[in-house]
This record gives sequence, structure tokens and C-alpha cells, in this order.
Amino acid sequence: MAMNKKALHSAIALAGVSAFALTACTGPSGGGGTSTGGAGGGTITYGTTDKVVTLDPAGSYDAGSFMVMNQIYPFLLNAKPGTADATPDIAESAEFTSPTEYTVKLKSDLKFANGHALTSSDVKFSIDRVVKIADDNGPASLLGNLESVTAKDDSTVVFKLKAGNDQVFPGVLAANAGPIVDEEVFPADKLMSDDEIVKGKPFAGPYTIESYKKNELVSLKVNPDYKGLLGKPANDGASIKYYADSNNLKLDVQQGNIDVAGRSLTATDAADLEKDSKVTVHKGPGGELRYIVFNFDTMPFGAKTAEADPAKALAVRQAMANVVDRDAIATQVYKGTYLPAYSVVPDGFVGAIQPLKEMYGDGSGKPSLDKAKKAFSEAGVTAPVNIKLQYNPDHYGKSSGDEYAMIKEQLEKSGLFKVDLQSTEWVTYSKDRTKDVYPVYQLGWFPDYSDADNYLTPFFVPGNFLKNHYENPSVTDLITKQLTTVDKAEREKVLGEAQTSVAKDLSTLPLLQGAQLMVAGKDVKGVEKTLDASFKTRLGVISK
Amino acid sequence: MTTLIEAPPTDADGLLPSKKKSSGGGLGQYILIRFLLIFPTILILVTMVFFLMRITGDPITAALGGRLPPEQLAERITAAGYDRPILVQYFEYLGQLLTGNFGTTLSDNRQVTEMLTTYGSATLELTINALLVALLVGIPLGMIAAHRRDKAPDAVLRIFAILCYATPVFFSGLLFKLTFSVWLGWLPVAGRAKTSSELQLTSLQAPTGIYWLDAVRSGNMAALGDVMAHAVLPALALGLLTAGIFLRLVRTNVIGTLGKDYVEAGRSRGVSEFRLVTKHAYKPALIPIITVMGLQIAVLLGGAVLTETTFEWKGLGFQLATYLTARDFVAVQGIVVLLAVIVAVTNFIVDIVAALIDPRVRY
Repeated sequence: MAMNKKALHSAIALAGVSAFALTACTGPSGGGGTSTGGAGGGTITYGTTDKVVTLDPAGSYDAGSFMVMNQIYPFLLNAKPGTADATPDIAESAEFTSPTEYTVKLKSDLKFANGHALTSSDVKFSIDRVVKIADDNGPASLLGNLESVTAKDDSTVVFKLKAGNDQVFPGVLAANAGPIVDEEVFPADKLMSDDEIVKGKPFAGPYTIESYKKNELVSLKVNPDYKGLLGKPANDGASIKYYADSNNLKLDVQQGNIDVAGRSLTATDAADLEKDSKVTVHKGPGGELRYIVFNFDTMPFGAKTAEADPAKALAVRQAMANVVDRDAIATQVYKGTYLPAYSVVPDGFVGAIQPLKEMYGDGSGKPSLDKAKKAFSEAGVTAPVNIKLQYNPDHYGKSSGDEYAMIKEQLEKSGLFKVDLQSTEWVTYSKDRTKDVYPVYQLGWFPDYSDADNYLTPFFVPGNFLKNHYENPSVTDLITKQLTTVDKAEREKVLGEAQTSVAKDLSTLPLLQGAQLMVAGKDVKGVEKTLDASFKTRLGVISK
Repeated sequence: MTTLIEAPPTDADGLLPSKKKSSGGGLGQYILIRFLLIFPTILILVTMVFFLMRITGDPITAALGGRLPPEQLAERITAAGYDRPILVQYFEYLGQLLTGNFGTTLSDNRQVTEMLTTYGSATLELTINALLVALLVGIPLGMIAAHRRDKAPDAVLRIFAILCYATPVFFSGLLFKLTFSVWLGWLPVAGRAKTSSELQLTSLQAPTGIYWLDAVRSGNMAALGDVMAHAVLPALALGLLTAGIFLRLVRTNVIGTLGKDYVEAGRSRGVSEFRLVTKHAYKPALIPIITVMGLQIAVLLGGAVLTETTFEWKGLGFQLATYLTARDFVAVQGIVVLLAVIVAVTNFIVDIVAALIDPRVRY
């Protein structure tokens, strides 16, 4: 019994100590998570609900992964904070040395955090690798105009292009296909896991990764060897904290547990936070486009369905375009923080027009049931058509659920459709969508560079990022033409023609366009510098 | 010849037999049998989980059936080996488990074992915290209720107990969050620690992953305070669920004990009611608590799924919810099997502790 009593007393003592500890630590929680032990205490914490698919540049083409890549990998060209123009980053110079040759000279004595020298050979390796791996979720489609890369000497790289005078190629090098990686660390023909990447330290951007817990917490340390355009970060280090729930993200920035809340707060959150005196809501130019993708093989009457009929498939897409009420979604779901989109290129970009406004609905942007019914009757489609509609609940903000519930309601209310609405978590979603799993599905787009082309080439040329089996040679020609047209007025005209052609085919159905939004504590500086039309989050400009 | 019958020694109040060394008879055999019973228990659990997961078909079909063209679905099923006879897959799965291989998740290509070790410690920490809350709230309040039987405090505590175990954990969690985090601003909203503490604790040499333990080991009192502050609301939300059960159990047992002859004898000798409750009634009343505690571990682990999701406590429960959303049955199966093992092992430990305290439960 002695042992029994002793055990009990020990347990009670332990419980008592724990109770003391629990009650002793219930002070205010604010003021927090930013002094990460850095020498100057000037570290910053950025919170987001975005997720990293992979840190390997060859395997991802999403905002969550690219956000981290922008901090750790160097680019030949980059956008200076506050601007959107691609200018030399780790390059000394970059220019067209002939219509089809773009020559880049590297700065001297560049190196990776692991000590390996960064030379033109690494540049060639990085770009070739993206093309060779051509991962379904990778950015290989951005390099569609690239014929070859040559390392002339240790510091000179020559990009040979298929079409001359490519006006967006510098922007492409500053985008998802452009991170330069260490050829001594990465395999040439397959993707590398995040843990292996972190271990190999192939970083030569403004920061290196100090510790990495995928989609939980990433700790970034200032890279003293970075010699690029972005310069020395204004902080002593940065952390990226990942949230599953945007409510928690919002509450944590309000309580000061994180310094900046980036993507993806809901419209309601933003409206609420604007009234909070402890935080500032920063808004930047919006390039976000929200749209529905049609898989031309598996959508109703798609090429690989039992009832394949291209005319009927088009009628289905046209009827959807006629029935959907963008205004209602923008005002009711997004409280006006999004605007209706009537083109695949958001309004405001040079060359943007709004062809869908006239072509579908009542001609003013409102829905038209009569025109939808007409599209069905002309193609001989019998209503209702069953649509399997997929959306993602965690990547494009929590309101996606409300957005797609409303779309389902609008489509079904017309009597023309019966919608089976489904949702899948992002990591799976991003993989499955390219494998023909979803016949009709949600996507959103945050541009890589500020040019109308960024809303065309990735989506509507053969082998595009959508992998939705859409091909139209005349659209491809128009997109190629605008790419190589040096005269600005002429280029705008071609961009307009391309948008009109795409609107006729309806490979995607644009719904909404939005603004960039970040919420920061009152003591946080520099947030507005990264909210520019380059759409790149640069943690190096944020400080306290 | 006079036979001298020696009276058993008694405690200070002359009520209970005093400390007497346990013979320990049967304890070794008891432990051995209980230990050996773990294996069939786990085998039964693993088998049930495996076959229950297959009721809706193979994991690929369950995740993508009806959405993937049939030929692609077949391709994926073949590639993953799910087209083979179910028994072959079962025995192969058992073989994998014996070598500690739980497979690779379907949605993000992670080794399930790596995922389990990464997030298991977080769930363990939450469960320990919740158990502490349950004990600290349930036992004293149960004793008070028994002591004040049929009076106002007893009635209030009984209602409190009912509320505790009848309130869904996600509801109480949100309520606590709203009150203590949003309105009062006393406690953190979510997560296991501030970014700074988390970075310090995860950068330690050989961290256990149980943050308060790592903070104590490294002597980082600031991090310990932060970690404990983050633990309060999730521990309360989950712990109160079990505290209600403990409260009722202690109350009933203490009342039962207070009616025993030796307690009545104590009363007649003038021993105070408080002393009777705290010194003589609590110990017998705690023995069933220890047994129930084993069962409550399963309840706590189940509740952890909702608590972790509510508070973004990134443990196995949080991951389980994420993988369920992704319909990743390989990951779900791995997590459920691990939770089953934890429950079996905990019950074993509880049985041993119960046997140490009360020799009557031994074989």
C-alpha cells in the first residue's frame, strides 16, 4: 500500500504543478510572435492560408509555392518593389542580342548558401530542367517559346527563342519558370522532395530556409551572399505561418501574434478589419481572376464521353455563360471586394476588353435565360444537363463554398442544369485536375507578370497549364502574334482579337476579378511596397 | 493454552487497516497476461480498420470513383496494387506494419510513419493536458458534490457535469475562443505556440515534439509560459468533456464509501465530515476513476479531432480531418491504427496501475 499511496501523492503533486503552470500562464497573448530570437529582434511573421505544393520550381505553378520561392531562389530578372517591370536581378545585364536571342550576363562571384558557385551552367540546368520534367503542375508551359539555352561562358547565358521579339520573355524569366537552382543538388529529370531541398541549401535569394515544417511554419534567415536587385532585407529574418482557417489568421493578426496576414482573408474579414484600429488593411492592384474551367474531354458531350458532340458541348458552355449572374456573386458573396469579369484578361490591363459582356447574357452583363435556352435548342440539347462541378474550399478562400453554392443555385434555377457540387482539398485538387478527374471545375489565377499575355499563353495554347484539351489554331496564332508584335497599338488590337476568339470558344468561363489584400499591425512598415502589379510577395521590404 | 489473536493495526482515526505491504502475489502473471492481450487486441483493431476502410472499395475508387474515367481509375488501382485479392493486400499490409511501414499518403506523398511521428507528439501533448484538466476539475468537484450531497452546491455541480459531457467539444471550443480570445483577449486564438517559441523549440537537439516538455528540458521558461497559454483553451475544451464523467463517478463512489460501516464508525467517534471525505473516502473512490481513465483516453483521442481542428492544433486529429477531406484512406488508415495502438497500450498501463493500487483486480 505504501507504493500505492506514494504513486497517488506523486500524481496529485504533478497535477498541482501542472495546474499552477496552466493558471500561471494565462496572461494576454498579444504582442507576439515576432521576436524570434534574432539579434535585432526585427524579424517579421507573415501568415497565410495558402499551401506549398512543392518547393521544387519544376513542380509547382501556384501562389503558395511561388511565394516561398520568391524569398529563397534568385531570378535572372525580377521586379523592383513598387514596379512590375522585369529588370536584372542577379544578372548584370539582359537584352535581345538578335530577334531570337536573349543574352543574360550574370553578376560575378554568385554563390548558393551551401557554398557552391552559381554560374551560367546552373542557369541552363534550371531552365532545361523545367522543360524536361514538364510536370503537370509545373510552369513548363511558360517556356513554350524557348528553343534552347546555352551557357557561353561562366557568366553568359543565351536563350534562343522560337518566335523573335518575344515581348514577355523577360517577364517569364522573372516568373515561376525562372528560379535558379543548384545543379549539384537537384536531379535533372525528376522532382525533389521539400525536405531534401531544405537539406541541400540550394538557396541564393534574399533568404535561406532555416527550418521547415511543410504547411506549418517556415523560418527564413537573411542570406548575406545575395547580390540581387531586391537588396538586403529590411528585417532580420522572416517566418511564414500557415493557417487552415482564415478566421484564425484574422484573429492572430488582430492580436498581434503575426505581423502581416496575406492570402486569403474573406471579404467579410477585410470589411471587419478595416474598422479595427490595431491593424491596417493594405490594398494593391488586383490581378486575380476567378473562373470555371471546362475539360473538353470529360465535360458533358466532351470528346471522350459516350455522347461526344462538340456543338452540344459548346452549347452547354454558352448556356452557363448566359445564366451565371456575376454581379450577384460579387455583391452577395464578396461584398464588393471582387468585380464581375467579362474577359479572360482582367479589366485594367493594357489590351483588355470585355467580350463576354456583349456576347452572353442580356448584353449589359446580366444573365439571360432566353439566350441560354436558345443555345440549347439550337444545338439540340435536352435539359436538364447533369454537371459535375468541382471547387476547392481551402486555396481560394473560404468564400469559395458560398460562391459555388450560388453558381449551383443559379444554374439549377434556370431549369437547364442539374449540378452535382463537390469539393476537394488543394494538394489533391491541384494534382487531380490535370488528370481529367474534374469535368468542370473552379480555378483562380494570380498573375506571374503584369501583362495581358499572362492571362492568355498559360491557358489557351497547346500544352497549356490547364491541360483541358482545348486547342484552336487561330487562337494560338493570335496569342503568338501579340507576343511578337513590337508596335504597342497593333499589339493591343491583337490582344483584343485573342480575347474575343477565346470568349467564343469558352474554354474557361471568367467570373470575377479581385484586388490584392494584406492586413498588418500598425507598427509594420513596407507592406504597400510589395502590393504592386508584379503580384510578388517580397518579405524583404516589410519591417517593424 | 491461550491463543493470542492480534488485532490488525489501524490508521490514526482507527478506521482503516494501516499500510501493509502487498504480497504482490499474481502481479507478474497479471502483467504478463495483460501484456500478451495487447497483441490480439491490436490485431483485431487493425483488421477491423483495414476491412472497414475497404467496405466502400479500394482507396483509389473511394477517393476518385465516379469522377475519374474508368480506364484511368483502373490504371491507378493497378499501379497501387489495389486490384489484387483483398486477403493478399491484408497480409501484405500486416507485413508492412510489422516492419513499421504504414505506406505513403495518396494526397501528398508523405511517408505515413513520418507523418505519425511528426504529429503524434502534438496529439499526445493535447491529450495529457486534457486529462490533467479532467482530473483537476472532476475529482475535487466530485468530492465537494458528495460532501454537500443533495444541497445546492451538489445540484449545481451535477448540472455542471451534465453540461460538460453533453456539450459538443467544437461548440465549447468556439465558445471559449470567442470569450477568452476574442472578447477578453486573455488567451491565444489558435496554434500550439507563438512563432518565436515554436522556432526555438523545434530547433532543439532531439526535440520530443511535446512542447512543454521540450521547454522544460531546455530551461526556456518564456517558451513554457507561451506553450501553456496556448494549451489552456484546447485542454479545457477537451478536458471538460471527461471532467463531467469523472465528477459524477467520484461523487457516486464517495457517497457509496461514506455509507460504509467504517466511515459510520468514524462519524460516531467524532471524526469530521471533511476529514472523512478527504482522507477516508477519496482513495476507494479513485480506483474506478483510474480504470475509467483508460477508456476515456479513447474519448479524448476522438475529441482531439474536433479540438485540434477548432484550435489549429496541428496534431494527428487535425491531419486526420485534412486527410479525410482529401479522401486519403492510406493516411486515414495509418492514423486510426496508431490511435488504436495508443488506446490499447494506455489501457494496459491503466490496468497495471489499477492492479498496483487494488490487488483485488489481479488474477
